[in-house]
Amino acid sequence: MAHVYIRRLAGFIGAVLLQVFILNHIHIAGYATPYLYIYFLLKLNAGVSRNVLMFWGFFLGLLIDMFSSTPGLNAASAVLLAFVRQPVLRLFSPKELDNVTPGFGSLGTGVFVKYVVVAVLLHHAVLLGLEAFSFFDWPGLLLKIVLSSLFSIICILAIECLRR
Amino acid sequence: MRNLLNFLIKYNSWILFLLLEVACFMLLFRFNNYQGSVFFTSANRFAGRVYEWAGGIHSYFYLRTANEELLDRNLFLERKVEWLTEALAGLQQDSAQVNVRDSALSDVRIIKARVVNNTLNRLDNYITLDKGSADGVKNDMGVVGIEGVAGIVYLVSPHYSLAISVLNRKSSINCKVQGTDYFGYLKWDGGDSRYAYVRDLPRYAEIAVGDTVVTNGYSSVFPAGIMVGRIADISDSDDGLSYLLRVELATDFGTLNDVRLVAPQSQEERMELERGVKE
Repeated sequence: MAHVYIRRLAGFIGAVLLQVFILNHIHIAGYATPYLYIYFLLKLNAGVSRNVLMFWGFFLGLLIDMFSSTPGLNAASAVLLAFVRQPVLRLFSPKELDNVTPGFGSLGTGVFVKYVVVAVLLHHAVLLGLEAFSFFDWPGLLLKIVLSSLFSIICILAIECLRR
Repeated sequence: MRNLLNFLIKYNSWILFLLLEVACFMLLFRFNNYQGSVFFTSANRFAGRVYEWAGGIHSYFYLRTANEELLDRNLFLERKVEWLTEALAGLQQDSAQVNVRDSALSDVRIIKARVVNNTLNRLDNYITLDKGSADGVKNDMGVVGIEGVAGIVYLVSPHYSLAISVLNRKSSINCKVQGTDYFGYLKWDGGDSRYAYVRDLPRYAEIAVGDTVVTNGYSSVFPAGIMVGRIADISDSDDGLSYLLRVELATDFGTLNDVRLVAPQSQEERMELERGVKE
């Protein structure tokens, strides 16, 4: 039991370091920045309760905010993602999901891809929308959301393929 | 009572969700005008230390470029000094003694600092510096990189401080075209990190692409004459009444590393005076 928590904590710290030191500095064409830290939330066991998941999301987001001087921004969007993860999983997967870690193997390729796409799009839309906070530059914001999401989704699926 | 408890138990995730989101939004919105929020930014002690450590490694890789830039800058300044002394010698024949160097620097306070974190890709970018109030840093000091203006100090903790980068929608720096008295405000509105805009230059101003833009002494933040950038493009503003300048920034924010914090000696007195007028 204990080693599950140690692995989770290691994943948590790894996600923060990767995001803060490497990914936050990537901005292809000034638009696309991958926010891969949510991979940690997406991969948590489906048996983890919604409340616990939200706390993970909150502290993950808060720590990333602390490093990028955007208090509350990532935390707000990560909590939202944690909140809707269960319904999104249920929406796509017909199977009972009690003690399953989401992945290609456990969910099936199609279901997992749909799950990742919806979750990432939602998270990025909220995050980047909150950051801009005004909709004066609609096309720019949409382009940013779409490109960043695309980048994140590709990275997440690639990592998933490698780990399989 | 029972119904209330049942309600709370049934919707406990919704309630927790709302609580956490409210907490996030409070952080988000109070950041702008709440000094204590410095704890939640990268200017707090923990994040500052981690960034300092990572920045040490990072800066090692840029030593070579930094050196070359310093050499270039040095050369440029040497040439300028030469040119100025010549000009001065010409003038001194029939005027009183002027000590250029002293009068230029006597009234400016300078603190050396190192950038420990810096972003370019957001709409509101901030620079984290490794000096804080313990080293004499105060709010509204100017941040100047090797090549030119970089930002303005915004929040100060004992050992670190957070500066608004030029690449921030809140940033507004008073500047002028060198050699003229036309001035305007330097603004950035997202997008390319190499360019910013100066608005409100009168249409009769005699300026050309390639002219140098420098700070003017009107703002109480920067001393006059610090390099901002070069004019890359001149166009009409939206209302057609003034020019809109696209300025190629002198500072390369991607490699910003060593900076100086500057403040005119009389800054506090002056700000107090200006505050008095506003109230």
